[in-house]
Amino acid sequence: MDKEAPVTPVLLFALLLFAPEDLPKGEDVLAKFVEVTGGRAAYEQIRGSIAKGTMTISGQNLKGTMTIYESAPAKQVTLVEFPGIGRMEEGTDGTIAWSNSFLEGARLKLGEEKAMAMRAANSQAKFLNWKKLYKSVETMGVEDVDGKPCYKVVLTPLSGKPDTEYYDKASGLLVRETATVPLPMGEVPVALTLGGYRKEGDLLMPHTLQQSLAGQRIDIEIDSVAINPEFSPKRFEPPAEVKALLK
Amino acid sequence: MRFLALLPLVFALHGATLTPERKQSNLNSFEYVWTTIRDKHWDKSLDGAEWKAVHDELQPKMEQAESMEAARRVLNEMIGRLHLTHFGVLPGDVYSELHGGAEGMDVRIINGRAILVRGKHQGWEVEGVQEAIAKVEKLYEHSTMRELMVSRAVAAWAGAHEVTLSNGHGERVTPELSEFAQHGEPTTFGNLPTQYVWSESRHIGNAGYFAFNMFFDPGRLIPALAASVGECGKCTGFVIDLRGNPGGIGAMAMGMAGFFIQQQGELLGTMQMRDNALKFAINPRVPAFTQKLAVLVDGLSASTSEIFAGGLQDLKRARVFGSPTAGAALPSVIERLPNGDAFQYAIANYVSQSGAVLEGKGVKPDVEVRPNRASLLAGKDDVLESALQWIKRPL
Repeated sequence: MDKEAPVTPVLLFALLLFAPEDLPKGEDVLAKFVEVTGGRAAYEQIRGSIAKGTMTISGQNLKGTMTIYESAPAKQVTLVEFPGIGRMEEGTDGTIAWSNSFLEGARLKLGEEKAMAMRAANSQAKFLNWKKLYKSVETMGVEDVDGKPCYKVVLTPLSGKPDTEYYDKASGLLVRETATVPLPMGEVPVALTLGGYRKEGDLLMPHTLQQSLAGQRIDIEIDSVAINPEFSPKRFEPPAEVKALLK
Repeated sequence: MRFLALLPLVFALHGATLTPERKQSNLNSFEYVWTTIRDKHWDKSLDGAEWKAVHDELQPKMEQAESMEAARRVLNEMIGRLHLTHFGVLPGDVYSELHGGAEGMDVRIINGRAILVRGKHQGWEVEGVQEAIAKVEKLYEHSTMRELMVSRAVAAWAGAHEVTLSNGHGERVTPELSEFAQHGEPTTFGNLPTQYVWSESRHIGNAGYFAFNMFFDPGRLIPALAASVGECGKCTGFVIDLRGNPGGIGAMAMGMAGFFIQQQGELLGTMQMRDNALKFAINPRVPAFTQKLAVLVDGLSASTSEIFAGGLQDLKRARVFGSPTAGAALPSVIERLPNGDAFQYAIANYVSQSGAVLEGKGVKPDVEVRPNRASLLAGKDDVLESALQWIKRPL
């Protein structure tokens, strides 16, 4: 008797049902995102932006104003003011990356943390020329995010640990990012959920960001984005406390 | 619910036969405590079979408990299986006796008497409070938190009674209630309850001095310390006074330590949470104060105060003066149980840079000095004086 199990029509149908689908290449997922959010030409026109909104640390009932200044390539400053409490800021001028907080003081970001800050400030390059920042961009599968199937894309930077991003299969939009952030306090897993996409100029941008960090939920609401504003030449200089660390 | 330093294990004093409703509330309390420890303890292995076995062994005992005393014994036996000193159930009536009252009263127990250590009547005794002191001292007999809890009990007692003060030389006064009202700026921080925060900065000879009543209001306290250190560029030493300071926002310890540390990469210690470990990393401020640093502590210095003092002592950056601290370093939560008792549990473990555990042990001063009533009456501060003498001595 032949001991090999016969491939019945039912089994064949089942195998077909569960065959892995052809996954798009990671770079194609990024390209799709560029396409659905405005197209390459629109991205290439962006020289800088100012985003204004609010940051809420829900569990602590703390709410502050938030402003993000960006200038291509790779300059960024984020300011958060908690009224009556204090100010937190961080940024990079493309050479150094720093943080300055009313609570903990000033410090330079070094090593992997610095590399991560530089990549974050250069998101345009990620979408337009990912090889500048990453060794590889791979689609690892399909996973649900908030009930919607998404491509799970792992981006492995030139140095440091990989970031994982989830792109909605249907819309092509980036809906979640996860990473491990190397802070002086230790390696902290961070998850960011993006939503509220709407147009700013020619680009579709997320306006609600929900961050989960060390058990805390941080909600960011972007109210307005000014595209290509004029910046003071000193806008991306680090604050005096950080300059003092450089001496 | 309230964030505080930790309470040790304590036991009920009396019991009575329970109604069916009361028995049910004890069973509900049992489940609440067991589940909370399983879900919130920093050691995730507690969600395994061993902890379940503790539940299954002790739950029938709780069903059979015929008095509050017996029920609390079961709860404390369960908590005792953790072999940790900082989880506990406190009888509801005792919990109430340790909170509120004359919260601005700064009192210490000196030779068994409640003596005011600051203010208009420094050195005077609060009369008639011996019974309240004895009750709490018995509860906290073997705890490093005895001094802290007794002092709270005196303040709570003073809020409910007419207070008479005596100076030990035949003079007695009835002080105005306002003398023991909280002072400082009312401050809120997120969900935390309003706190009254004050700081004091001055020069004493060639030393800087900075005292503050709690690690709260970072928007005002940290700039105040920055100014105090900044004005002390030519000082030969600096004193941080944490006596009576119960702690507060943990991150402030790092921010404030930065004024006294030059070296990058130093840690005050590490806090082990359920999902990750947080290092208390110090960001050196520029310019940092590099001369002698004295930190003053006592049995009422708890939590973030201990992390600050113990961490800088561990790094050999500060010399600590005073008496041992409360040994209550862990962040914790107190919740009312269904049966009315108070359940306190820690949500993290903490070790200093050298691996020392502060919880249940406290910070041991390098130079032990305790307040003396005669000195207090004479307007002196022996602990501060000892630190200033050390600062004056050449290296």
